[in-house]
Amino acid sequence: MKSFALALVFSLGLFAGCKPSAPSASNGTADTPSAPGKQLTIAFMPKSKGNGYFIACRAGAEQAAKDLNVKLLYDGPTETDPAKQNEIVETWITRGVDVIAAACENREGISTALRKAQAKGIKVITYDADALPDARSFFVNQATPEGIANALMDEAARLLGGSGDYAIITASLTAGNMIEWQKAIEKRNAEKYPNMKRVALRPCDDLREKAFAEATAIMNANPSVKLLMNICTPAVPGAAEAVKQAGKAGLVKVIGLGLPSENRSFVKEGITDTVILWKVQDLGYLTIEVAAALARGELKAGATSFKSKRAGDVEIQGDNILLGTPFIFNKSNIDQFDF
Amino acid sequence: MRTPDSKSSAWKAVLFRFETLLLVVLAMECLIFTRTGTNFATQGNALEILKFSVEIGLLALVMTPVILTGGIDLSVGSLLGLCAVCFGKFWRDAGMEWPLAAVLTLGIGALAGGVNALLITRLRLPPLIVTLGSFSLFRGLAEAITKGTDNFTGFPPDFLAFGQGYYGGIIPAQVPVFAVVALAVWLLVHRTTFGRSFRAIGFAPEGARYAGLPVERRIALAYILSGVVAALAAMIYVARVGQAKADAGTGYELLAITAVVLGGTSIFGGIGTVQGTLLGVATLAVLKNGLQLSDQPSELAGILTGALLLLVLAGEAALKKFSARRARPAILPAKPNSTP
Repeated sequence: MKSFALALVFSLGLFAGCKPSAPSASNGTADTPSAPGKQLTIAFMPKSKGNGYFIACRAGAEQAAKDLNVKLLYDGPTETDPAKQNEIVETWITRGVDVIAAACENREGISTALRKAQAKGIKVITYDADALPDARSFFVNQATPEGIANALMDEAARLLGGSGDYAIITASLTAGNMIEWQKAIEKRNAEKYPNMKRVALRPCDDLREKAFAEATAIMNANPSVKLLMNICTPAVPGAAEAVKQAGKAGLVKVIGLGLPSENRSFVKEGITDTVILWKVQDLGYLTIEVAAALARGELKAGATSFKSKRAGDVEIQGDNILLGTPFIFNKSNIDQFDF
Repeated sequence: MRTPDSKSSAWKAVLFRFETLLLVVLAMECLIFTRTGTNFATQGNALEILKFSVEIGLLALVMTPVILTGGIDLSVGSLLGLCAVCFGKFWRDAGMEWPLAAVLTLGIGALAGGVNALLITRLRLPPLIVTLGSFSLFRGLAEAITKGTDNFTGFPPDFLAFGQGYYGGIIPAQVPVFAVVALAVWLLVHRTTFGRSFRAIGFAPEGARYAGLPVERRIALAYILSGVVAALAAMIYVARVGQAKADAGTGYELLAITAVVLGGTSIFGGIGTVQGTLLGVATLAVLKNGLQLSDQPSELAGILTGALLLLVLAGEAALKKFSARRARPAILPAKPNSTP
């Protein structure tokens, strides 16, 4: 009993015995956040760290942090994992940051942690994928679901001449933005292209090799599929690789939301026809601009526009800050973009 | 017979105990992170660390008796996922009140542990292989039930309070549950004949059998306990995260085993303590939390966890060698007499 009690007391006492929230004796680098005149600390979380899309986002965010002289913390799960996102948010609450900007894997799951952050006086915004509206002040929306869905569906219909079977590879069937995009694609499909038919919808967990496996499985199971529409970035090169290895280049077309850099070789080989995306680095940049403006009191609820150095004058609809319309990358212009 | 000599060797015994070494490591971690981390040395953060250690801690606690018997349970992480999903299914789709769903989920945990136990004790299959199978089986079942996509959310607030609430605004709600389980497992392992039999089985299963111990029943108990507590951990996880998805608890089995081994339990069985496991859990949790508060990327935690495990094990081996060499002269003088 004695040794147990000893171990328990020691392991608990070691932290519990420490002084309660003593402001650490500043040694030059100390950054006690939210003190007036101090450098702002903005915590920036991707859905998953390995995803090239979020790496590009981060590059923009870091540029903005430099331009605005704010301290940027970057952390997130290595693979999409809502539980891990919550843990990181809770650690940031303990650490004390001024603003948390998160791309949310699971809307309900993360909202409890984000509300807790708000209750502790931390400003919260979301980007890329939203949380519940009461858990954040603003959502930096890269594009409206309709904007994305229409661009994808129109491009698919153009490539197939308005009729044929296609399949969708998504990141996960639970992520909020993915679901919205799927619904908007279905709507556009039903309204404008009655002869186009979606025959499969598969998740790839934001992993390229899983997308490769899913694309291969879809082509084997549904020989009628003429086009793979990939609505998460790792899936576009994953699906293109699958089509290439199956020797079906040209027979099965590949389009999707992707990074020009990851798809350049496939576009040039003629396997991938079109890559659709917004300027991702601008999304990261704008998110940090919004975070800083919010913390400094320059951006308030009810504003209808926001001046961005990179993205220009952006529109605010309610609490959605809109980055702009999607951009179409293809053989003719893909070399001009380096993200 | 208290000579000054035996007193000093008793001190040495404490000093060279594995737990002491681990305590030093833990204290060093705390010292370093107090300097490098923002708000590390606060009461709030201590409780936050405790809160995030509960699921892994529970799994590690019941992994200890399993490893003591010379076995291993690789299926606990997958079982956590399966139980989370079953709980969600019972509550949402079967329309049960959550307390009833919780009781049924514990039953599923016991059943799953029982399946492991049955295969291991009746068919005498190696635990590594059996639980490697159930590792895939349980995760597969969880994915099949949800078709890989269904996600249970919107649980009632009085249930979520178990994972997100605080007693008196300070103590995380899951911490008392953890303390009770820790005490119960400690009593079981260190203060009952069950505990002694776990170690005896780990040392020499055949010897334990000849000594008249019900080896099969004792081993079965360890695996069933592991299953039930995995179910408990699953519900705490669901309450904390607010959702139940098939991927819950992925990789937790390896973290639990790491904590147990780091805590000084021999992977071959027979040697180990529950307090060592608790220290192992604390060492890993503090490392992860401290790195994050020091603004270090979380992938560094993986590197340092691995390095720490190898370092501590190497340290233990070195200590053993050192104390064995010191002990030898005391034995040697007796030898010449006994040899012809």
